[in-house]
Amino acid sequence: MIPISFNTVSGGYGSLNVVQDLSGEVEAGKVLCVVGRNGVGKSTLLKLLLGYLPCRSGEVTIGGRKAGSMAPEARRGLGISYCPQERPVFDDLSVSDNLALMVKDGRLDGYRRFFDLFPVLEKRLAQRAGTLSGGEKKLLSFTRGLAEHQPAVVLDEPTEGVQWENIQRMAEMINGRKAGGTAFIVVEQNLSFAELIADHYLVMDHGRCVLIGSCAEIGRADIVKHLTV
Amino acid sequence: MANLATLIALLVLPFAVGDYWTYQLGLYYLYAMVAVGLGLCWGQAGFLPLGQAMFFGISAYLSAILLKAMPGSYLIYLLLPLAALVSGMLALLIGLMVFRRDGGSGPFFSLITLALSMLTFQIASNWNSVTGGFNGLAGIPGLPGIDDFRANYHLAAVALVLVLALASWLYRAPLGVLWRAIAQNERRVALFGFNPHHYKALAFAVSGFFAGLAGALYAPQQGLVSPQVVGFAFSAELLVWTAVGGRGRLYGPVLGTLLVGSMTAEMRDNIPYWEVIMAGFFMLVVLAFPQGVVGLFTPVTDRLRRYFESARLRARIEAPARRETIAQEPLTIEAARVSTSGINILNDLTVAFPPKGVACIIGPNGAGKTSTFNLITGELPASAGSVKVGALDITNQAPYRVARLGFGRKLQAPSVFPDLSIGDNLAIALWSNGARPLDLLRPSLRRWSSPIIGELAARYPFLCREEAAASDLSHGERQILELAMALAVQPRILLLDEPCAGLSADETSRAVDVIRWAAERLGNAVIIIEHDMALVRKIADRVMVFHNGALLAEGSVADIQADPAVQAVYVGGQK
Amino acid sequence: MDPLIVTQILNILFGVTTLAMIALGLAITFGMLGVLNLAHGEFVMMGAFCALVVDRAGAPFVLAVPLALLVCGGVGLMVEMLLIRPLYRRPFDTLVATWGLSLLLRKLAEAGFGLGFNSVSVPLAGTATLFGADYPTYRLVLIVVCVAIIGALFAWYGTSRAGLKIRAMVGNPDLARALGMPVKRLATTTFVIGSCLAGLAGVMVAPLVPVHPYLGLDYVIKSFFVLVVGGLGSVLGVVAGTGVIGGLDSVMSAVFGSTQAYFTVLVVAILFLWLKPRGLFSHG
Repeated sequence: MIPISFNTVSGGYGSLNVVQDLSGEVEAGKVLCVVGRNGVGKSTLLKLLLGYLPCRSGEVTIGGRKAGSMAPEARRGLGISYCPQERPVFDDLSVSDNLALMVKDGRLDGYRRFFDLFPVLEKRLAQRAGTLSGGEKKLLSFTRGLAEHQPAVVLDEPTEGVQWENIQRMAEMINGRKAGGTAFIVVEQNLSFAELIADHYLVMDHGRCVLIGSCAEIGRADIVKHLTV
Repeated sequence: MANLATLIALLVLPFAVGDYWTYQLGLYYLYAMVAVGLGLCWGQAGFLPLGQAMFFGISAYLSAILLKAMPGSYLIYLLLPLAALVSGMLALLIGLMVFRRDGGSGPFFSLITLALSMLTFQIASNWNSVTGGFNGLAGIPGLPGIDDFRANYHLAAVALVLVLALASWLYRAPLGVLWRAIAQNERRVALFGFNPHHYKALAFAVSGFFAGLAGALYAPQQGLVSPQVVGFAFSAELLVWTAVGGRGRLYGPVLGTLLVGSMTAEMRDNIPYWEVIMAGFFMLVVLAFPQGVVGLFTPVTDRLRRYFESARLRARIEAPARRETIAQEPLTIEAARVSTSGINILNDLTVAFPPKGVACIIGPNGAGKTSTFNLITGELPASAGSVKVGALDITNQAPYRVARLGFGRKLQAPSVFPDLSIGDNLAIALWSNGARPLDLLRPSLRRWSSPIIGELAARYPFLCREEAAASDLSHGERQILELAMALAVQPRILLLDEPCAGLSADETSRAVDVIRWAAERLGNAVIIIEHDMALVRKIADRVMVFHNGALLAEGSVADIQADPAVQAVYVGGQK
Repeated sequence: MDPLIVTQILNILFGVTTLAMIALGLAITFGMLGVLNLAHGEFVMMGAFCALVVDRAGAPFVLAVPLALLVCGGVGLMVEMLLIRPLYRRPFDTLVATWGLSLLLRKLAEAGFGLGFNSVSVPLAGTATLFGADYPTYRLVLIVVCVAIIGALFAWYGTSRAGLKIRAMVGNPDLARALGMPVKRLATTTFVIGSCLAGLAGVMVAPLVPVHPYLGLDYVIKSFFVLVVGGLGSVLGVVAGTGVIGGLDSVMSAVFGSTQAYFTVLVVAILFLWLKPRGLFSHG
């Protein structure tokens, strides 16, 4: 069963189609990296996958089931976690409340591995999440998203503002999860991070796919051509 | 024409309906005048006063006091309009004071007007020596020369038609167009150099004056003024009448008042639950038919109007040249810092834009590109640093002031005024630099045109469909319309935020031609935020790369492409 | 202590707690949903009429509580689904629509019960002696009940898991949806709770005030002023706002009379609306 696939999806805001006829899929234990310059429709693609925006055409399938017009809160039940690019955490809640929210008994024991990896989170547990730096918020969001243990995880620019050492640890974590069969779709601007985790690339420009393939087929130079100015 | 017909119809009506209704209608004509003012605020300018009864009541009390002080004197005919003017001035004052504050014209404004009218009610019911307290002022003499209800009816009818004529003139004038534009997108209006607060306060003042006029006539007509005339219940009824009749059209509130108001007086006793039905109907109107009852007729009346108007020749009038302007000097931003909620969006940004030619700003998400535009046009306050044009410091000026200096701007998402016609959209841009405040009362300004618009229309024929609503346009056409509006201002400095977003390759290359052509024709500075490098290569004389709220690199396209620091920003670093 | 002063203090306390009870329901719908419910006072009015119906039927007063919860909760549910939900994020239209609703509910009450003043007999008639002052027992009980309900709600909101989820959903609904939280159902529940609180308040004040269709108007206006003064959406704000408005109202009433008190409250509220629309705790 394919954790997430999307077939010729189009959609956007108002009368404007930001994303045009995109298709792709990610298998269990693989990472699909969506890359492209800003404003080409990467986040919009994720919003179409998660159900925040309606698909004007095409079909999204999550966990083998057609998502149709399901709301985001219902799609989660199909087996998908999402870490958005903007407002990635609950600013008004403490860091520990942010993490406790999704745990049934409210205990943070399950986060031990993450705290070992990102000690800064444990230090900030009592702090309001809104007071964290942008990078720390991303770490918190990443931790929350991965700790949900869903078969598919969608990350929107998880490394924005994060220090390189922590970026490497995020990559380690993702690679560990891949081995356990989790599928990832990662929108990323940082090519060095993408290279650490990607199995497949989908390169976007002007809302369309300009290049798609495995990392064996697509080299750094091919992507850089579409990323840089 | 329509007003004359209305007047004749109203004057003849008593012969058809008999004495009882003549008396009733005389009163409801006065109420309708208040409702027309409410429609002007709510349906045109887009804000909702909840205490219109206050203006009606204040003038009614004033008029009652004057009438009692000088019974039989013809001087009263001079003083009554002044009593109405008091209400108008009061509304103007309230508008000027409230609209410029944080609460603006949203629900808080509505609550303020509600609270004010309740305050007035308290004063009216307790200031016994002046207002007669809870029982009010009774035994008010009638106006000299108006001695029976029929004469009162005719006076009210004439007053109502006067108000309608005034309102219809304002609706047709550029002022009315600006009111409707403010209701749709206040920010955009400010970026054309109009102070929206002033125009809204003006609308409120006119509505206050209409209410005041009605109140001034109410006192002699009814002979009794009690606190109920400033009360909450009356304000509430006005709102229902206006909404049910149709707030967006001149005749809607009148229709609502006469149908619902005068019928209620009759039906309350005959039909059980009549008022419950009306309240339910009101909610239905709010939810489903913002057009109200008058919306049932507008398809017919609009067609008739178009038929008559198309017969007339609508010659274009050449708009006058720009009045005030700044010299063509470089725009410089010096160590500017902008922050919201503790996060610095712009970090000591220092950049200079040449006085001529096309400069492109590029940079990754969150680099501060659009924020820089907002800083320049005065929408984001700088906590440090300066923005200057030549030697002129424009740091933290109000957006409408900056716009008047000759700045044109096209926003990222196309933000034309959807409910206005293409012609009115373009005309607003022309008024922005050519119209004096009093000109805005001349309907002929809606026919203004300029050579620039003529030349643009030659490239894009859809711009000639002046009567079509901007909401009918496709996304691409809206982008072009907004570009045309920005160019029609003939700005000395033109700021374009992703002008080609969402355009097809073909549309993009045409738009690029237009921008290039305009930059040469106007000889101005054009600053463009753009992601599409193919476009940047075609259009830019100079490229500025922003990163983390500061200038990272600057130079020709080739310089930028050769800069390793720039490439690192786009590919993502390892540090 | 002088019994007269004790009585006055208790009066102020009574004024503040009952106002807090009514403002709380409004604060919940406004703070959490961004819905300015101008018909909130009419839910208070319905609660009061429930008490009237129970009283007229000769049933024990306490039965008015479940009746009011049923009526106000049911109407709240319908209103949320038919009126509020289509208008979310359109504050202006919500304002007008709930204004219409208040009109409808008032007219319905008018059609059913007439415009006259009705009275509900006071349960727990008699007085209790407190610090040397005789004070009506029912009022004393009301003060205690109001404080208990408000305290319990705040404690629940601040510490329970359900409260945590609500805070998450209010602060960042999009993220909450990604976590599978039923944001729409929460909105409905919140509105119904707000309506029930109003109904409950209506039952409580019914024996003390003339019960008539326009009963809710004064309460809703004062409650709005509480929110305006206290700022929206914060617990502290409701408490502070009630303190200012309710306190001012009660103190001015005691010293100068109710008209002057009303007048002062209106002026203070207008100043806040104008100069500090985000309340006492906003910056700038």
